[in-house]
Amino acid sequence: MTGIDADIDALRGLHQALVRYRHAQREVAARGEDEIRLARAALEAKASYWRAQLELGQAGLGDCQDRAAQAAEDGAVDCSGYARAVEQSREQLERIRRWQQRIDAEASEFGGTASRFRDLLEAGLPRVEEHVLALVASLEAARRVQAPASRP
Amino acid sequence: MTGRPDQDGDHNLRLLGDAWDQAAEHWRDGTARQFGEDQLTPLLHESRGYLEALRKLMDTLEAADRDTESPPGSGRE
Repeated sequence: MTGIDADIDALRGLHQALVRYRHAQREVAARGEDEIRLARAALEAKASYWRAQLELGQAGLGDCQDRAAQAAEDGAVDCSGYARAVEQSREQLERIRRWQQRIDAEASEFGGTASRFRDLLEAGLPRVEEHVLALVASLEAARRVQAPASRP
Repeated sequence: MTGRPDQDGDHNLRLLGDAWDQAAEHWRDGTARQFGEDQLTPLLHESRGYLEALRKLMDTLEAADRDTESPPGSGRE
Protein backbone atom coordinates (compact mmCIF):
# COMPACT_ATOMS: atom_id res chain seq x y z
CA MET A 1 0.00 0.00 0.00
CA THR A 2 1.35 3.44 -0.96
CA GLY A 3 1.38 6.46 1.33
CA ILE A 4 -1.53 7.97 -0.54
CA ASP A 5 -3.55 4.74 -0.19
CA ALA A 6 -2.90 4.74 3.56
CA ASP A 7 -4.01 8.38 3.80
CA ILE A 8 -7.21 7.60 1.90
CA ASP A 9 -7.99 4.63 4.16
CA ALA A 10 -7.24 6.69 7.27
CA LEU A 11 -9.55 9.48 6.11
CA ARG A 12 -12.34 7.06 5.18
CA GLY A 13 -12.07 5.54 8.67
CA LEU A 14 -12.22 8.99 10.20
CA HIS A 15 -15.26 9.88 8.10
CA GLN A 16 -17.11 6.77 9.29
CA ALA A 17 -16.19 7.59 12.90
CA LEU A 18 -17.53 11.14 12.50
CA VAL A 19 -20.85 9.86 11.10
CA ARG A 20 -21.18 7.32 13.94
CA TYR A 21 -20.34 10.05 16.45
CA ARG A 22 -23.03 12.37 15.08
CA HIS A 23 -25.73 9.70 15.34
CA ALA A 24 -24.64 8.49 18.77
CA GLN A 25 -24.42 11.99 20.25
CA ARG A 26 -27.78 12.95 18.78
CA GLU A 27 -29.23 10.07 20.79
CA VAL A 28 -27.34 11.20 23.89
CA ALA A 29 -28.75 14.72 23.53
CA ALA A 30 -32.30 13.38 23.10
CA ARG A 31 -31.92 11.18 26.18
CA GLY A 32 -30.61 14.16 28.14
CA GLU A 33 -33.78 16.09 27.26
CA ASP A 34 -35.89 13.05 28.22
CA GLU A 35 -34.18 12.83 31.61
CA ILE A 36 -35.01 16.46 32.33
CA ARG A 37 -38.66 15.93 31.38
CA LEU A 38 -38.89 12.74 33.47
CA ALA A 39 -37.30 14.36 36.51
CA ARG A 40 -39.69 17.31 36.32
CA ALA A 41 -42.67 14.97 35.95
CA ALA A 42 -41.49 12.85 38.91
CA LEU A 43 -41.14 15.94 41.11
CA GLU A 44 -44.58 17.15 40.06
CA ALA A 45 -46.07 13.73 40.90
CA LYS A 46 -44.43 13.87 44.32
CA ALA A 47 -45.68 17.41 44.88
CA SER A 48 -49.19 16.32 43.91
CA TYR A 49 -49.04 13.44 46.40
CA TRP A 50 -47.84 15.65 49.25
CA ARG A 51 -50.41 18.35 48.47
CA ALA A 52 -53.12 15.69 48.81
CA GLN A 53 -51.52 14.49 52.06
CA LEU A 54 -51.45 18.05 53.34
CA GLU A 55 -55.14 18.54 52.58
CA LEU A 56 -56.02 15.27 54.30
CA GLY A 57 -53.83 16.15 57.27
CA GLN A 58 -55.31 19.63 57.60
CA ALA A 59 -58.85 18.22 57.41
CA GLY A 60 -57.98 15.59 60.03
CA LEU A 61 -56.35 18.19 62.25
CA GLY A 62 -59.36 20.49 61.95
CA ASP A 63 -61.74 17.67 62.92
CA CYS A 64 -59.49 16.69 65.77
CA GLN A 65 -59.30 20.26 67.07
CA ASP A 66 -63.11 20.50 66.91
CA ARG A 67 -63.36 17.30 68.92
CA ALA A 68 -60.77 18.60 71.35
CA ALA A 69 -62.72 21.84 71.81
CA GLN A 70 -65.95 19.93 72.46
CA ALA A 71 -64.24 17.63 74.92
CA ALA A 72 -62.25 20.40 76.56
CA GLU A 73 -63.36 19.45 80.00
CA ASP A 74 -62.17 15.86 79.58
CA GLY A 75 -58.92 16.90 77.87
CA ALA A 76 -58.61 13.44 76.36
CA VAL A 77 -58.17 14.31 72.67
CA ASP A 78 -54.60 14.34 71.37
CA CYS A 79 -54.14 15.99 67.93
CA SER A 80 -50.33 15.92 67.85
CA GLY A 81 -50.24 13.06 65.31
CA TYR A 82 -52.29 15.13 62.84
CA ALA A 83 -50.13 18.18 63.50
CA ARG A 84 -46.97 16.17 62.80
CA ALA A 85 -48.45 14.78 59.56
CA VAL A 86 -49.35 18.30 58.41
CA GLU A 87 -45.87 19.57 59.24
CA GLN A 88 -44.24 16.65 57.40
CA SER A 89 -46.32 17.31 54.28
CA ARG A 90 -45.40 21.01 54.38
CA GLU A 91 -41.69 20.16 54.70
CA GLN A 92 -41.84 17.73 51.80
CA LEU A 93 -43.64 20.25 49.61
CA GLU A 94 -41.11 22.96 50.46
CA ARG A 95 -38.22 20.60 49.70
CA ILE A 96 -39.76 19.66 46.35
CA ARG A 97 -40.39 23.31 45.51
CA ARG A 98 -36.72 24.16 46.15
CA TRP A 99 -35.56 21.31 43.89
CA GLN A 100 -38.01 22.36 41.17
CA GLN A 101 -36.63 25.90 41.26
CA ARG A 102 -33.05 24.64 41.15
CA ILE A 103 -33.75 22.29 38.25
CA ASP A 104 -35.54 25.06 36.34
CA ALA A 105 -32.53 27.36 36.80
CA GLU A 106 -29.94 24.72 35.88
CA ALA A 107 -31.97 23.39 32.94
CA SER A 108 -32.32 26.94 31.63
CA GLU A 109 -28.56 27.48 31.88
CA PHE A 110 -27.97 24.10 30.23
CA GLY A 111 -30.34 25.04 27.40
CA GLY A 112 -27.82 27.40 25.79
CA THR A 113 -25.05 24.80 25.81
CA ALA A 114 -27.44 22.11 24.55
CA SER A 115 -28.62 24.36 21.73
CA ARG A 116 -25.03 25.01 20.57
CA PHE A 117 -24.33 21.27 20.70
CA ARG A 118 -27.45 20.50 18.63
CA ASP A 119 -26.27 23.07 16.06
CA LEU A 120 -22.91 21.36 16.03
CA LEU A 121 -24.51 17.97 15.39
CA GLU A 122 -26.94 19.22 12.77
CA ALA A 123 -24.73 21.66 10.87
CA GLY A 124 -21.12 21.81 12.05
CA LEU A 125 -20.40 18.11 12.11
CA PRO A 126 -21.86 17.39 8.63
CA ARG A 127 -19.59 20.17 7.31
CA VAL A 128 -16.58 18.46 8.88
CA GLU A 129 -17.70 15.15 7.34
CA GLU A 130 -18.02 16.81 3.91
CA HIS A 131 -14.58 18.33 4.35
CA VAL A 132 -13.10 14.87 5.01
CA LEU A 133 -14.89 13.44 1.95
CA ALA A 134 -13.50 16.30 -0.15
CA LEU A 135 -10.01 15.47 1.10
CA VAL A 136 -10.57 11.81 0.16
CA ALA A 137 -11.73 12.88 -3.32
CA SER A 138 -8.69 15.09 -3.83
CA LEU A 139 -6.34 12.29 -2.71
CA GLU A 140 -8.06 9.85 -5.05
CA ALA A 141 -7.65 12.34 -7.91
CA ALA A 142 -3.96 12.71 -7.04
CA ARG A 143 -3.60 8.92 -7.01
CA ARG A 144 -5.16 8.67 -10.49
CA VAL A 145 -2.68 11.24 -11.78
CA GLN A 146 0.22 9.49 -10.06
CA ALA A 147 -0.65 5.98 -11.27
CA PRO A 148 -0.14 6.45 -15.07
CA ALA A 149 2.92 8.63 -14.43
CA SER A 150 4.55 5.86 -12.43
CA ARG A 151 4.11 3.33 -15.27
CA PRO A 152 7.21 2.67 -17.45
CA MET B 1 -26.21 1.85 25.66
CA THR B 2 -27.98 1.96 28.98
CA GLY B 3 -25.88 4.21 31.22
CA ARG B 4 -26.40 7.85 31.99
CA PRO B 5 -26.47 9.93 28.79
CA ASP B 6 -23.44 11.98 29.86
CA GLN B 7 -21.41 8.80 30.42
CA ASP B 8 -22.45 7.37 27.08
CA GLY B 9 -21.56 10.72 25.51
CA ASP B 10 -18.08 10.55 27.07
CA HIS B 11 -17.69 7.05 25.63
CA ASN B 12 -18.67 8.29 22.15
CA LEU B 13 -16.18 11.13 22.47
CA ARG B 14 -13.40 8.69 23.39
CA LEU B 15 -14.23 6.58 20.34
CA LEU B 16 -13.95 9.64 18.09
CA GLY B 17 -10.65 10.59 19.74
CA ASP B 18 -9.36 7.05 19.12
CA ALA B 19 -10.46 7.22 15.47
CA TRP B 20 -8.60 10.51 15.05
CA ASP B 21 -5.45 9.07 16.69
CA GLN B 22 -5.65 6.11 14.34
CA ALA B 23 -6.10 8.35 11.28
CA ALA B 24 -3.26 10.63 12.41
CA GLU B 25 -0.87 7.67 12.52
CA HIS B 26 -0.99 7.56 8.71
CA TRP B 27 -2.16 11.00 7.71
CA ARG B 28 0.52 13.37 8.97
CA ASP B 29 0.97 16.16 6.42
CA GLY B 30 0.23 19.86 6.77
CA THR B 31 -3.39 19.35 5.69
CA ALA B 32 -3.84 16.83 8.49
CA ARG B 33 -2.38 19.23 11.05
CA GLN B 34 -4.61 22.05 9.83
CA PHE B 35 -7.66 19.79 9.85
CA GLY B 36 -6.90 18.83 13.44
CA GLU B 37 -6.52 22.44 14.54
CA ASP B 38 -9.34 24.06 12.57
CA GLN B 39 -11.98 21.34 12.47
CA LEU B 40 -11.48 18.60 14.98
CA THR B 41 -10.19 20.48 18.03
CA PRO B 42 -13.16 22.91 18.13
CA LEU B 43 -15.54 19.96 17.66
CA LEU B 44 -13.98 18.06 20.57
CA HIS B 45 -13.88 21.21 22.71
CA GLU B 46 -17.56 21.99 22.14
CA SER B 47 -18.48 18.34 22.80
CA ARG B 48 -16.55 18.30 26.10
CA GLY B 49 -18.27 21.50 27.21
CA TYR B 50 -21.68 20.04 26.46
CA LEU B 51 -20.96 16.73 28.20
CA GLU B 52 -19.62 18.49 31.30
CA ALA B 53 -22.80 20.61 31.49
CA LEU B 54 -24.93 17.49 30.95
CA ARG B 55 -23.04 15.64 33.73
CA LYS B 56 -23.70 18.48 36.19
CA LEU B 57 -27.38 18.55 35.32
CA MET B 58 -27.75 14.75 35.59
CA ASP B 59 -26.07 14.92 39.04
CA THR B 60 -28.65 17.51 40.10
CA LEU B 61 -31.57 15.43 38.79
CA GLU B 62 -30.32 12.37 40.68
CA ALA B 63 -29.80 14.38 43.86
CA ALA B 64 -33.33 15.79 43.58
CA ASP B 65 -34.76 12.29 43.25
CA ARG B 66 -32.81 11.02 46.27
CA ASP B 67 -33.68 14.02 48.42
CA THR B 68 -37.44 13.99 47.88
CA GLU B 69 -39.72 11.31 49.23
CA SER B 70 -41.68 9.31 46.72
CA PRO B 71 -45.32 8.42 47.35
CA PRO B 72 -45.74 4.99 48.97
CA GLY B 73 -46.38 2.27 46.38
CA SER B 74 -44.64 4.15 43.59
CA GLY B 75 -41.74 1.71 43.64
CA ARG B 76 -39.26 4.57 44.10
CA GLU B 77 -39.54 5.10 47.86
